[in-house]
Amino acid sequence: MTFFLLLLPPVFAALLAFVIRPYRPFVGWVNALLSLVSLGAALAFAAQAIAGGAAPTWGLALGSLGLVDVLRADSLSALLLVCVTAVASLTLFLSPGLGRPVNRPHWGELAYGPEQLRRYHVFINLFIAAMLLAVSANNVGVMWIAVEATTVFSAFIIPLKLNRASIEASWKYILIGSVGIALAFAGTVLGYFDFVSLSGRAENALNWTVLLATAPALHPEVMRLAFVFLLVGYGTKAGIAPMHTWKPDAYGESPAPLTALMSSALFAVAMYAILRWKVVADATLGGDYTNNLLIALGLLSLVVAAFSVVLATNYKRMLAYSSIEHTGLMCLGFALGPLGTFAALLHLVNHTAAKSLMFFLVDNIEHKYRSPLIADTRGLLKALPWTGALFAFTLLMLIGLPPGGIFVSEFALFRAGFALNHPWLMGVALALLAVVFVSFINHLNRMLYGAPTEGVVAGETGGWRTALLFLCVIVLVTLGLTLPAPLLTLLNQSVEIIAK
Amino acid sequence: MTGYFLEVAQALLALTLAPLLVGFVRWVKARLQNRRGAPPWQPYFELGKLFGKEVVMSNNASWLFRFAPYIVFASALAVTFLVPLVAAPLPFDGVGDLLVVVYLLLLGTFFLALAGLDPGTAFGGMGASREMTVAAIAEPTIALAIFGLALGAGSTNLGRIVTATLANPGVALSPGHLLAFAALFIVTLAETGRLPVDNPSTHLELTMIHEAMILEYSGRYLALIEWAAWLKLTIFFALLANLFVPWGLATALTPAALAVAVVTLILKFAVLGVVVAVVETRVAKLRLFRVPELLGLSFVLALLAVTSSFLLK
Amino acid sequence: MNEALFSQLSTLGSSVVLLFGLILLWRRSLHAYTDAFQWQSAVLAAMFVMIGYFGHDPELYFVAVFFFVLKVLILPHYLERMEKRFGGERESQPYVNVATSLILAGLLVLLAYAVTRPLVLVSALPTRGGLPLAMGLVFVGLFVVITRKKALTQIVGFLVMENGIALLAVLGTFGIPLIVELGVFLDVLMGFLVMQVFVYHIHGTFESIDVDQLNELRH
Repeated sequence: MTFFLLLLPPVFAALLAFVIRPYRPFVGWVNALLSLVSLGAALAFAAQAIAGGAAPTWGLALGSLGLVDVLRADSLSALLLVCVTAVASLTLFLSPGLGRPVNRPHWGELAYGPEQLRRYHVFINLFIAAMLLAVSANNVGVMWIAVEATTVFSAFIIPLKLNRASIEASWKYILIGSVGIALAFAGTVLGYFDFVSLSGRAENALNWTVLLATAPALHPEVMRLAFVFLLVGYGTKAGIAPMHTWKPDAYGESPAPLTALMSSALFAVAMYAILRWKVVADATLGGDYTNNLLIALGLLSLVVAAFSVVLATNYKRMLAYSSIEHTGLMCLGFALGPLGTFAALLHLVNHTAAKSLMFFLVDNIEHKYRSPLIADTRGLLKALPWTGALFAFTLLMLIGLPPGGIFVSEFALFRAGFALNHPWLMGVALALLAVVFVSFINHLNRMLYGAPTEGVVAGETGGWRTALLFLCVIVLVTLGLTLPAPLLTLLNQSVEIIAK
Repeated sequence: MTGYFLEVAQALLALTLAPLLVGFVRWVKARLQNRRGAPPWQPYFELGKLFGKEVVMSNNASWLFRFAPYIVFASALAVTFLVPLVAAPLPFDGVGDLLVVVYLLLLGTFFLALAGLDPGTAFGGMGASREMTVAAIAEPTIALAIFGLALGAGSTNLGRIVTATLANPGVALSPGHLLAFAALFIVTLAETGRLPVDNPSTHLELTMIHEAMILEYSGRYLALIEWAAWLKLTIFFALLANLFVPWGLATALTPAALAVAVVTLILKFAVLGVVVAVVETRVAKLRLFRVPELLGLSFVLALLAVTSSFLLK
Repeated sequence: MNEALFSQLSTLGSSVVLLFGLILLWRRSLHAYTDAFQWQSAVLAAMFVMIGYFGHDPELYFVAVFFFVLKVLILPHYLERMEKRFGGERESQPYVNVATSLILAGLLVLLAYAVTRPLVLVSALPTRGGLPLAMGLVFVGLFVVITRKKALTQIVGFLVMENGIALLAVLGTFGIPLIVELGVFLDVLMGFLVMQVFVYHIHGTFESIDVDQLNELRH
């Protein structure tokens, strides 16, 4: 029942947006309210998980079609569901066409017409529905289908404004994403193949619980091959180097609310997929193989991100590189045993809050300055006092300063690394983080101070939206100062699932 | 002793069949193009005419120019001793297997190319360089394609390959064999100067590969070289027919078996000749820079044949 | 005897499917690519039927029908429409030229044999001989996406890659559960439709479908 409350609201919202033609603002409000229903369902799952007991499942009794127990919400799923629905709600409340008048002539090419808004609302809700399905699916085949669906749906709205840059970005996104997802499917097939050659065909063999149960008996060589495909495939969606090349382009060209959703929620979903398979692979191979792969790719992501941030000229792309950096950190964390996994999961939660916040602020800034270049954005504190201050504050927290949550999770990660005797690895990671730190502060300084760029009228235009962003900041700071008991329980349970 | 007689007889059979085969292909092509065409035994008259004519040589030609036709003819003739034409296994199998056959063919090509360069004419050099381009990819492909068969048979000995296929008929439809056949067919078209690689009846020097190398030859030299080229066609047809569809070959040296073998050989040659004629009529000549692409494809097919045979044993 | 025939037929079918994939590296015209994809999908659908018959799995007949409708009728129809609009452009100068591509494809198939050795050793199904060829097709499809410049060629390369994975699935496991298979079809269809929309956008904005021109976004 709760599954329906989770998955159906975004679908209804999309349907509504599709049916109402031309777009009316009330559609946006209804969508935002429906997303709160999903959020409620996710919180209910979280509460159920914290209270303990068996994970709720749902399936159809058509046994021969493989639909037994197709959905399942254990602690890890619940954690991610809360993150995704929270960001989704925020996104829908802060979407264009909602309260903000869309036909201000001075916005020039950043204004959206009603047809674009309709398209946006249909696909963003479908996108959210697909993400929720991916995270709550027990059947790894269904999980794959949902992740592929997210690629397709998001590709429709990246080029909301059709120009050369956005078409280029979305072409790269859809091509690289689809190829990556196809490889992930190959990995899924190989995993199923392993199971079939062991125990013959079974209709619910693609259920994660069943795979995990038979994992110790699966063939190691096949699982190694399968995990490589899966890591490369889902890693493409998560933006792990060297499959990250679509990220800066896509983040740079999509409308900011979609970017916020992609950078926090979609990325979390992709990591979730990798984690589910990591658990199965570890049960077959022992932890070392997957850990080594994750460390290698994580380190590569950190290196790529660090040096790209130094050269960044566009603040949206700069934030994309920061995403890659955090992806790298999370990969490292998941490879460092239970302590590292806890840190990485905490980092996931914190990063979701921080990154989505960043992109919403960037939305404000872009609307004011009409340019995504750092060089064109000067005097932020004078032009947009509240947004600028929030931007500076969040950026500082994003790169790991207290009292942000990211500081806590990064600290925990490094502690785990040193505890597990990887001093050199942690040293290199710290050095790369320092590089990122310095570059960000450098870019931030150029943006914050001085007189505003010519042609920019000072003054906040956000209104209640900027006020809503304070909510995110509060969450971030709270997570930095303390770890609320329910969250702690949920995290501990998730770590239990991933790294026994 | 009878074995050696058989070998000699086989070589003589190849020598006599070669002009008829080429004449037949030309005749079928003519008929497909709605012409009457010369009768299939026209090449015999051509040979007779050429042997009767005097040799005219350029002043710049060296001894190589005079010796090359004999070497080319000899190498082609030598291969006919080693290829299973009417019987397998042959007594000379111990002397020559797949690799020797490939080397002998390449020897002939090499000397022909040198002979094209020798008189110092522009067209000769052009033909020689083009021929080498084609040979560079085609020769390894022959080796690789037949090697795919050899892996299945366990030996590069051509006679052994034939007997292995006869012993295990199902293998003739295996992917390895089919891929090797396709690869070898493309190489046949390339090595014997047929469309789409080279037009054997062209008069335009700039489109020639084989013809350009032999432009300077006349009289008995030209006769020998032409006969060697027709022998090469016969050899390739024999490889295609008897390695892949070996039924009909005489395994015992009885007159009845040999007679059956000769009849089936002529039948197989006729079928192959018609196929080649149809292909030649159907396709257009490839531009020269696209020939390596076609040969690359045949190389990959041969490679796949080897991997299929090797890994599906 | 039945099993030997089954094994031979499946290997033969896989070889034919792989050969159609090689056409993408050999020919240059977009029409040849769509034709090759259509034939490849038809052979693949036939293989589904054959494996369903020999493997006693009637589900595969449904899958074969869906596969046929999607990949032999629907997708090639859209591909042909696109090819009529942009078909004048030929893949004349790919990043890796044709002869080298073909040789690299041969090496990729060898790599596929090496990579799938553990799979062939582990499997007990009579169709396991074709597994390396299916993996080879996946690699070839990936190679086409990376080294070709026309957006349409990249799409066909992606579709060929998907065919390779479908072949891998059916040879290794006699088919994945039906519901997942249907979802996969839906996803492939949607993905293709999105890509198709984008090719039109690219053509409209850049006046050609040469993805080499999509090089403005840097740093």
